[in-house]
Amino acid sequence: MTPWRTARTIARRDLSARFKGLRLLLVCLFLGVGALAAIGTLTGAIQSELASRGRTILGGDVEVAVWQRAASPAENAAFAKAGKVSGGTRLQAMARADDLAAPVELKAIDQAWPLVGQFTLQDGRSAGAPPPDTAWIAEGAAQRLGVKPGDSITIGSLPLKVGGIIASEPDRLGEGFTLGPVVIVAADVPQRAGLTAPGAMYRAKYRIAMGPGSDAQGLADRLKKQFPSSGFELRTRDNASPGAERFVSRMGDFLVLVGLAALAIAGIGIGGGVSSYLEARRGSLATLKVLGATSGDIARIYLLQVGTAALVGSAAGLVAGVLVTPLLAAALGSLLPVSPRMAFDPGALAKAALYGLLIALVFAAPPLLSARRFPAMALLRARVSPLKQSWRDAVLPVGLGMTAIAALALLTTKAKIVTAWFLGGSLALLLLLGALGWLIRWLAARLPRPKAPLLRIALANLHRPGAQTGALVTALGFGLAAFVTLAAIETSLDANIMARVPQRAPDYFVLDVPKARGAEFVAAVDKVAPSAKVRLVPALRGAILAYGPESAMTRVADMKEIPEEAWPLRGERGLTYSDEVPEGNVVTAGKWWPKTYAGEPLVSIDEKLAQALNLKIGDELTIGLLGVERTARIASLRRIDWDSMGFNYVLVFNPNAIEDAPHNLAATINLPKDTPRGDLLRSLVRAFPASSVIEVGGVLTQARDLLRQVSLAILAAASVAVLAGIAVLLGAIAAARTSRVYDNVILRVLGASRRQLLVLQLAEYALLATVLAGVALALGSGIAWLVVVKLFGFDWLPDWTEVMAVLGLGLALVIGFALAASLPLLRAKPAQALREL
Amino acid sequence: MTSPLPAIAAHNLTLSLGSGDSAVEVLRGIDLSVPYGQTLALLGPSGSGKSSLMAVLSGLERASGGSLRVAGEDFSAMSEDALALARRGRIGVVLQAFHLLPTMTALENVMTPLELAGIPDAKARAEAELAAVGLGERLGHYPAQLSGGEQQRVAIARALAPKPALVFADEPTGNLDAATGSSVMDLLFARRAESGATLVVITHDPALAARCERIVTLADGRIASDDAA
Repeated sequence: MTPWRTARTIARRDLSARFKGLRLLLVCLFLGVGALAAIGTLTGAIQSELASRGRTILGGDVEVAVWQRAASPAENAAFAKAGKVSGGTRLQAMARADDLAAPVELKAIDQAWPLVGQFTLQDGRSAGAPPPDTAWIAEGAAQRLGVKPGDSITIGSLPLKVGGIIASEPDRLGEGFTLGPVVIVAADVPQRAGLTAPGAMYRAKYRIAMGPGSDAQGLADRLKKQFPSSGFELRTRDNASPGAERFVSRMGDFLVLVGLAALAIAGIGIGGGVSSYLEARRGSLATLKVLGATSGDIARIYLLQVGTAALVGSAAGLVAGVLVTPLLAAALGSLLPVSPRMAFDPGALAKAALYGLLIALVFAAPPLLSARRFPAMALLRARVSPLKQSWRDAVLPVGLGMTAIAALALLTTKAKIVTAWFLGGSLALLLLLGALGWLIRWLAARLPRPKAPLLRIALANLHRPGAQTGALVTALGFGLAAFVTLAAIETSLDANIMARVPQRAPDYFVLDVPKARGAEFVAAVDKVAPSAKVRLVPALRGAILAYGPESAMTRVADMKEIPEEAWPLRGERGLTYSDEVPEGNVVTAGKWWPKTYAGEPLVSIDEKLAQALNLKIGDELTIGLLGVERTARIASLRRIDWDSMGFNYVLVFNPNAIEDAPHNLAATINLPKDTPRGDLLRSLVRAFPASSVIEVGGVLTQARDLLRQVSLAILAAASVAVLAGIAVLLGAIAAARTSRVYDNVILRVLGASRRQLLVLQLAEYALLATVLAGVALALGSGIAWLVVVKLFGFDWLPDWTEVMAVLGLGLALVIGFALAASLPLLRAKPAQALREL
Repeated sequence: MTSPLPAIAAHNLTLSLGSGDSAVEVLRGIDLSVPYGQTLALLGPSGSGKSSLMAVLSGLERASGGSLRVAGEDFSAMSEDALALARRGRIGVVLQAFHLLPTMTALENVMTPLELAGIPDAKARAEAELAAVGLGERLGHYPAQLSGGEQQRVAIARALAPKPALVFADEPTGNLDAATGSSVMDLLFARRAESGATLVVITHDPALAARCERIVTLADGRIASDDAA
């Protein structure tokens, strides 16, 4: 066999400098790798921004948060020993200005804030804690309350002057999700406003700024060990915004999968491109064999050519991916937790390139391996049929490539199960589309021939030898089905949020209703809205510290990693007590305690948590409640109807287990339809100034905005699949160029006008578009139905107008590109073409 | 080049194309012995099996039956890849439609078989060979930039560059006008005479056949006449 060096020399010589013939492969890899590189770079840039700004985002090196109490003197001493400390409280509150009221996130801070970063107001001032009886308020709060600097607002029972509108708050991201705009006040305001009475739902936060090179994690570990029952939630600068990081990481993982699916479509183009390239080189292949090249030499020569093109296409995709990232970041705007800077993430780029090369291997191997079997004798015989694909030879490289892709996807994600499902689903979908393509071709060959000659030819073009109907149905069908799926899911979820959630969810959630004023609260609601349904529950917060059989309890603090399903173990959770099974819950194991029960403390837990932690009836659970450990025996397991959208608690205790701890009540209010809302809100805010009233409508608007932005990001990634499909289509048109020119010339010789040829072309693409529309609608809406109804358990409420508009847009793109690519073929002059053919 | 063994020794060669009911017997028991250095013309009407016989004798196609030794190698037992290896440096082929590699220059076309055979100084030898066929000034031209006669001269240079023991030419003037065809054949015979290679020419042209030392006529897949017999 010829050495690789000689093969390289011949390959280089034979390869066009402008990659003529391999441009489809280049374009497909460029698109696929570019999309993956952009997604990876953007994700990496955000994560690196989050990491590099961790100290600012957190507001220190370590943050200690604790619910419903301030730190004890011993705890304060431990913080102070570690570095400079800034303390304060965070709580949900109502702000009022005249008749307007709005739920706000009240952030009370001491004079040391901000320990890190700079806080600025819209008038350009840099500031720290506001002066006494003054508040810095967010733009959103100013708008909702209709106030400006100098005006007055009331928080709880305390009037405050608006000192300025916030321009930049350095630790905003680290504060996490809030249910209203922020209002920053001095440290003593919550207490003076009567918002931190025992049992109130507030959270004390202490930020510690240590010296340079300090061991933040070491301090967090020490504090956890020193105060095991404290209920501390500790975060360090390296984990400043876990929610945002988790969101970015998961979104990034998911978009990579969508990009990978698009790359698989591009793979069809790669396979088609390589086939066409080798088909066009049959003469050269045979000539090389005549000159003494073996099948191995042929494989090496063309592998080197295809490999070079794949590397160039991937490299161009990587460059484009990096360059397009700032544009993507700008387009996604408020969806992103931080504005990423121009970034270069070698890991993400290597992964994108590796995916591209593996896809190229999987799809290019079959035609490459078939080409080596092309006989030298072909030069002496007439061209009879396309190169035969031999799948037997390709099983090994294709199998290895697919395994490597799956391994790479699974090894580089945390959501392994979702990834495995996605990969399996995509493969199944591709196979299904391939089978549909074959079926359509088969049916087209067996349908009765239409009488109209142009339609007859158009139909014949779907199944003629060499027709790429199968590849086109797969490639375009996948992208268009993805469009339909996304549109149907998005509009269904949106309709559910709009229509179903308001029906099921309460109209208001009210926090911090004083325990002693429960009856008064119900009466206050009844006075304004007599038909309203009010549900009051005791609301406490605590963390699960240990669980398991009495003799072998597992301490949560000792667990290296908390499993995904055991999410209630993370930080503090809402707790309640009740002598009745909560509304919408069903006891599935054990027994509920009798109303008069006064024995050892008992707890009823969510059956899914029990399953995740392997908990049995009779096992014990220790919680930290206001710094005190309390242990209760598991008396029952419950199935919780999370869809009820009211108060649902993973842990429900018997009353005497925790009712002695200071606490308030939380309430839900369901109003009959058409009840005016303004009066009730105003009356509650006046009567219960320390309570927070959260309107569900506002939360739903936030949720809808987020849903729309996430859909947009996924749609953008899925667009690459449609573009890749169009590239496949253009490749198919280019590959069939000779036979199409021949057909057109013969038809022209037989008297067809250019207009008739155009109509013929239109008829063919219209047929293809109709088939694609059917496939995309059936598959896309089927998948969307599975996701919406079976996975999310929502109603199937797609907006068909929007779905059809999205599909129509995709089809218009397809037909537009196809016609644009076909028009030059119509211009062939019969005499000239006949001389050349 | 003399040897006690013939350059080509074929016995009862058969070739069938297709299978089952559609099988066609193209060669039906060819016996042929060609000594080294001989020039031989294969004549016959279209469909008589000339090109197929050349393909089998040059190792481009495996015979369906019979035995065949070419340049000392047993071609009848070789795989297609083994035949390709056997052709390297030993057998040159000139085809009617030239079949130059369109993406390579004249020089690169001639260098390729030398490189595949691992022959050193491929470039210098290719340049010399092209100069010998009168194309020393057109080394960097692509096939599309050459006339039909020039392309066939490149093909001849390519076939002869490795100094093969055997050269097969399948209707080498078929795509050329009479004057160009004649000058190309003059060149082929002159270069062959210099190298002493065995030359097998397939042709319809009796005048061209007459320039060969021996004429074998095929009809219906069999040897109808052999003037050496």
